[in-house]
Amino acid sequence: MQNWFRSAIFGSVGAAFIAILWQGVVPVAAHGQAVQAYRAPRTADGKPDLNGIWEALNTANWDIQDHAARMGPVVSLGAAFSIPAGRGVVEGNEIPYLPEAAAKKKENAEKWLNSDPEIKCYLPGVPRATYMPYPFQILQTPQHILMVYEFAGATRTIYMNSKLKSPNDTWMGWSIGHWEGDTLVVDVTSFNDQTWFDRAGNFHSDALHVVERYTRISPDAIDYEVTIEDPKVFSRPWKMRMPLYRRLEKDAQLLEYQCIEFAEELLYGPLRKQPSK
Amino acid sequence: MNQRFFAFRGAAAVAIAVVLVAPIRAAGQTPSAKEPTAAPNVTPKKAAPSPKRWVPPRTSDGQPDLQGIWDYRTITPLERPRELGTKEFFTDEEAANYEKKENQRQNRDLIDPEQGGLFYPPGGVVPYNEFWYDRGDKVSGTKRTSLIVDPPDGRLPAWTPEGQKEASRRAAAQRNDQLGHPLADSWEDRPLQERCLVGLNAGPPMVPGAYNNDVQLFETPGYVAILNEMVHSARIVHLDGHPHGSIRQWKGDSVGHWEGDTLVVDTTNFNRETSLDGSSANTHLVERFTRTGPNTLLYEFTVDDPTMWTRPWTAVVPMTKSDDPIYEYACHEANYAMTGILAGARAADKAAEDATEKRTK
Repeated sequence: MQNWFRSAIFGSVGAAFIAILWQGVVPVAAHGQAVQAYRAPRTADGKPDLNGIWEALNTANWDIQDHAARMGPVVSLGAAFSIPAGRGVVEGNEIPYLPEAAAKKKENAEKWLNSDPEIKCYLPGVPRATYMPYPFQILQTPQHILMVYEFAGATRTIYMNSKLKSPNDTWMGWSIGHWEGDTLVVDVTSFNDQTWFDRAGNFHSDALHVVERYTRISPDAIDYEVTIEDPKVFSRPWKMRMPLYRRLEKDAQLLEYQCIEFAEELLYGPLRKQPSK
Repeated sequence: MNQRFFAFRGAAAVAIAVVLVAPIRAAGQTPSAKEPTAAPNVTPKKAAPSPKRWVPPRTSDGQPDLQGIWDYRTITPLERPRELGTKEFFTDEEAANYEKKENQRQNRDLIDPEQGGLFYPPGGVVPYNEFWYDRGDKVSGTKRTSLIVDPPDGRLPAWTPEGQKEASRRAAAQRNDQLGHPLADSWEDRPLQERCLVGLNAGPPMVPGAYNNDVQLFETPGYVAILNEMVHSARIVHLDGHPHGSIRQWKGDSVGHWEGDTLVVDTTNFNRETSLDGSSANTHLVERFTRTGPNTLLYEFTVDDPTMWTRPWTAVVPMTKSDDPIYEYACHEANYAMTGILAGARAADKAAEDATEKRTK
């Protein structure tokens, strides 16, 4: 829903991309050519410059697969907070769930309001943080790349060419990066099994392994490709792909979305002191 | 946590040794292997007399390079103990004695709940044992007796009437917590830190505390990011000279600029109180970050909150470089304590109600 507002401010570049990417089946080829054709500006150490405030402009956070519009969960909010239709971001639109996992996905979808970690303001994990309807900022230095997401103030540091290991499982994963030509490749592991991919109940286990590829394809867009591997949940690796757009407003700024206070009544409400009878 | 804890102690000991000899050695030191390879624009002079003369390396776009992971643990208190009066610095011997005494006094495992200790009244509740603490066990490198340097008595200035009211409320609440019957009609009765809305020592401003006293600074053209481990708090500071906006936030709105080799960060527009006990939304915070040597950074901050304090005050927190990465601190996600506190309070209500009923029957 917020996408409708945000779409207005992305400007014509974003609109052009949407036109290219959303109008047909051709995009992968067209997209691929664009990747090769564009040479991104460089940082002082000669790498493609990914610095900036970026945001996905799609409905993947509702459902990473193709989905028609449908009514939202709150009757009184009617048309304002219902679910917009969207083309999926999953390559081939199919997620290769193992049989038990497919049943679990279905159950998640049915129990969405009680189970989705987003509703509780939990750290959203990767890649979901990338395509939630909030901006995120990349701060790129030679050894460490910091990504800060507006949702829940989530953060992750990408350690470049590092052998550092995570001492524990985490919500946002443990990210090790390297450059392959003009593409930033990030290998993310050490996840817990608490995050989801979307509001449709798509999920993973603690065996999740994510490989992200960030490639600048124009002055104001990044091609974002993610490979998902999780042998406990999926029968084979699968991919998502989408453009990320630069927030072009002159005073673009990552603001706080400190959502804990929006979830406390939901989480702790029953433990509030009731007026004495 | 355990591994980190021990790794940290070693690193801290080394770092403190570096700080102690800094005035003599700093000028001769070459940047460590971890320093960016970009050449500093000025070669350090051989006989520079003080660490102030040390010239920090530059980032590739020419800014002073403050980047790295900085550890700000210390046992030096924010406020000078009253018995020290106007004494600003410890001697070596006094510092050693103070450390010994404080490490003993603050060690939760040495507190007998029956007798009380530290700020726990007799018969109170000591919630965490010593295992969980990762506070500094050394006084800060310069052996200051307090982090506060202004007012000169090293203590917070007098409260305004409003500040006094809030301080009394807070003292009563803390007393109830320590006695084991916290005020918890709802989560809103609990401090922001317990709700994970702000980080205990993440600030702004950063004040050394019980654990996770680590911050990483990132610099990119036009920005500095301040990433605190405590509650994964990232503050993105704009350096483009734009004024403060009108949006209020828990961490306020931070804009920055360079004054020579010092990064100055100006923060206003706080939502309510800051992470500092006793502060209000009216706080105007100015922080200054200056690298004083290859492994040291001086963090100074001035708090001006005319709603709560009768005058501004300033503290200094020396930081030392750390090799430990910043880890994820998922505070809210594992905030079982909040459920526990509220459920405990409801159980206490029920018990009190039952007791009343019994009496009236």
